[in-house]
Amino acid sequence: MAVCIAVIAKENYPLYIRSTPTENELKFHYMVHTSLDVVDEKISAMGKALVDQRELYLGLLYPTEDYKVYGYVTNSKVKFVMVVDSSNTALRDNEIRSMFRKLHNSYTDVMCNPFYNPGDRIQSRAFDTMVTSMMVQVC
Amino acid sequence: MSRQANRGTESKKMSSELFTLTYGALVTQLCKDYENDEDVNKQLDRMGYNIGVRLIEDFLARSNVGRCHDFRETADVIAKVAFKMYLGITPSITNWSPAGDEFSLILENNPLVDFVELPDNHSALIYSNLLCGVLRGALEMVQMAVEAKFVQDTLKGDGVTEIRMRFIRRIEDNLPAGEE
Repeated sequence: MAVCIAVIAKENYPLYIRSTPTENELKFHYMVHTSLDVVDEKISAMGKALVDQRELYLGLLYPTEDYKVYGYVTNSKVKFVMVVDSSNTALRDNEIRSMFRKLHNSYTDVMCNPFYNPGDRIQSRAFDTMVTSMMVQVC
Repeated sequence: MSRQANRGTESKKMSSELFTLTYGALVTQLCKDYENDEDVNKQLDRMGYNIGVRLIEDFLARSNVGRCHDFRETADVIAKVAFKMYLGITPSITNWSPAGDEFSLILENNPLVDFVELPDNHSALIYSNLLCGVLRGALEMVQMAVEAKFVQDTLKGDGVTEIRMRFIRRIEDNLPAGEE
């Protein structure tokens, strides 16, 4: 499962970022921040093809020695970034994709909450619960 | 006669998401306009009352419900016909008082709150209070003074949403009911 999940707004500021364990939080923030360049690169590279295929999943953004970083971008240019431990070889592409889809559905529910102001940080119990279920379970 | 038949079969469906979001926008706007949650609750009840006094005409025209002979029959009509017709849900009726003048409507799911999570600074807000006003206004137009209030709400962390209904008196006044 994921060790870090982030939701990035259209203007490239964080709406939500959650990592575990928390002592490595800064490293994950840096990793997510770095991945935004790759996301933009992928979006412009795929260009019209991306729009035609209606493909939101960007796949593996870049691997590091210990982690893999995956991306997903909605039609409204909101980006989801997920960091997964490299040692977790059981995690397949299809599972990452469905996790992103689940994240996207939860995000649309947050947007439909009348008390949520678009652009604010996400503070939603339902969203937190869903993200927790996708994070690595700390011992 | 044909007009009546047409009205009965007329479809008035709307997207449930549009309905939920519209109500949400109404409530959040009231929260911005008023200083505290109690005023918002009163205003929702007031709006609901004005909806209820009109909705009862539509309900009676479409439902072919005859005169109710006691409060139990009224409760059945509210739960099985009215809620089904307008909200697409059928609440269960429980917790009758021994005198038969009080009961609870248990809503397993409330379509008004589908996407809602109450922020901490609105802990006193009764989000669906419009429903209480609708019930009070509608029943007043058929000569029943009732009190309706939420005693449990899933938004507050309760397991179910419960509306407590209490019969106050039969209204004998023949003057037309004015708006609040």
